[in-house]
Amino acid sequence: MKIRLSHADGRPLYVQIMDEVRSGLVRGTLRPEDPLPSVRELSSSLRVNPRTVSQAYAALERDGVVLVRHGKGTFVAPGVRPDERERPRLAREVARRALADASRNGLALADLMTALREVEGGDPHRDGDGSKEGGQ
Amino acid sequence: MTDIARAALPIDLGGGPFAVTTRGLAKRFGAVRALDGLDLQVPEGAVYVLVGPNGAGKSTLIRTLMGLVRYQAGAVSVLGRDPADRGAKVRADIGYVPEDYRFGYAWMTVGRWLEHQAVYHPSWDAEYARQLGKRYEIEPGRKCHTLSKGQSRRVQLLAALAHRPPLLLLDEPTDGLDHVVRDETLSILSEHLADSPTTVVISTHRVYEVEPLVDHVGVLSEGRLLGQLPRDELRGSLLRYWADVPEGWSGPGELGGRVVKRSGAARAIEWTVWGDRDVVTRGLSEAGAAVREVAPLSVDEAAVALLSETSREAS
Repeated sequence: MKIRLSHADGRPLYVQIMDEVRSGLVRGTLRPEDPLPSVRELSSSLRVNPRTVSQAYAALERDGVVLVRHGKGTFVAPGVRPDERERPRLAREVARRALADASRNGLALADLMTALREVEGGDPHRDGDGSKEGGQ
Repeated sequence: MTDIARAALPIDLGGGPFAVTTRGLAKRFGAVRALDGLDLQVPEGAVYVLVGPNGAGKSTLIRTLMGLVRYQAGAVSVLGRDPADRGAKVRADIGYVPEDYRFGYAWMTVGRWLEHQAVYHPSWDAEYARQLGKRYEIEPGRKCHTLSKGQSRRVQLLAALAHRPPLLLLDEPTDGLDHVVRDETLSILSEHLADSPTTVVISTHRVYEVEPLVDHVGVLSEGRLLGQLPRDELRGSLLRYWADVPEGWSGPGELGGRVVKRSGAARAIEWTVWGDRDVVTRGLSEAGAAVREVAPLSVDEAAVALLSETSREAS
């Protein structure tokens, strides 16, 4: 799993780590039962305070996304069904960011929806299903 | 507006436990007040960054905590001891990187100098020192006076970390380091914090270089703290608001927050405000502003906003 952080991003670092784990689940690069890097490894590779990583893991555990097995490390929870919860959740997060960006530029929701459809391929009958952000 | 404008940012971190505290700490050098009634609180296990302009008192404060500067008034507790009368004991428990990168025993080889450090710190971990020496590519046979600034810094960082002290006092720790070594240092510090319970106080002009490690911030100006608070609280409550406003807009009468910095053009404002995000947004909206974006500040930006506010008030 590769986690990327941006220090220019408005989200706190621990939230970015949580979102990266969720995005890994949605993309399928992370699957149930997969081990996550240890707090030490991840904080060292991201150059962040280990507490930031612990905070992200603890919050993910509260959300039922990961599971801490004492003495063994942190794992993706066995029962996670990314399509039921993580995908819509991630889609909402991406939508929130897109809306904020639109509003910053003085655009309304309708402008954004129209443009999304046009960019997607000009088919006005295809409704956004929330996963259009998929990378290249 | 002027009344709230004089209120300070939070400065009391509550009940502790604290690794370091000062109360009413004062130090003068002749007519210059270097520290002027300073109340520092560094929670145990925190990574606390001290920011402030040149001459704000950062190095004097750190040297006072080390027992290298005698203070004239107030009280100091470093790991439960007063460095003024237990200086040597306090220093044995501290990993210190001084602002000055020159060595006191410049004629020694690096290896000899490190042995010398090991004697003063009974908890010196020789294996860890060896690993750090390898990562930092330290050459033990070199004479200290032949080292560049960056090479000296690496030796000083090694010496500060190798005895796994409960407290690290780092005065401009990244000064003189190139990009690669600075990045390696952040990685080393992250691992160090994961492995050893450590409280860290960092004084720096380059907050952005250490910001991902920081969880507490103290803004120092003219020997006093303008604020001292958790990084998350600063991120959550000191925010920049971008809004479109009508021609000739004069702002809300009561905002429910404290405006730290105002800028912007005729019909678009950019305000930095300390206060509850929802309350401030509502205050701006009710006064006729269309808030387009609200975003947190980096520690650097926050320090600049707070310090420029102070200098404006003083002028």
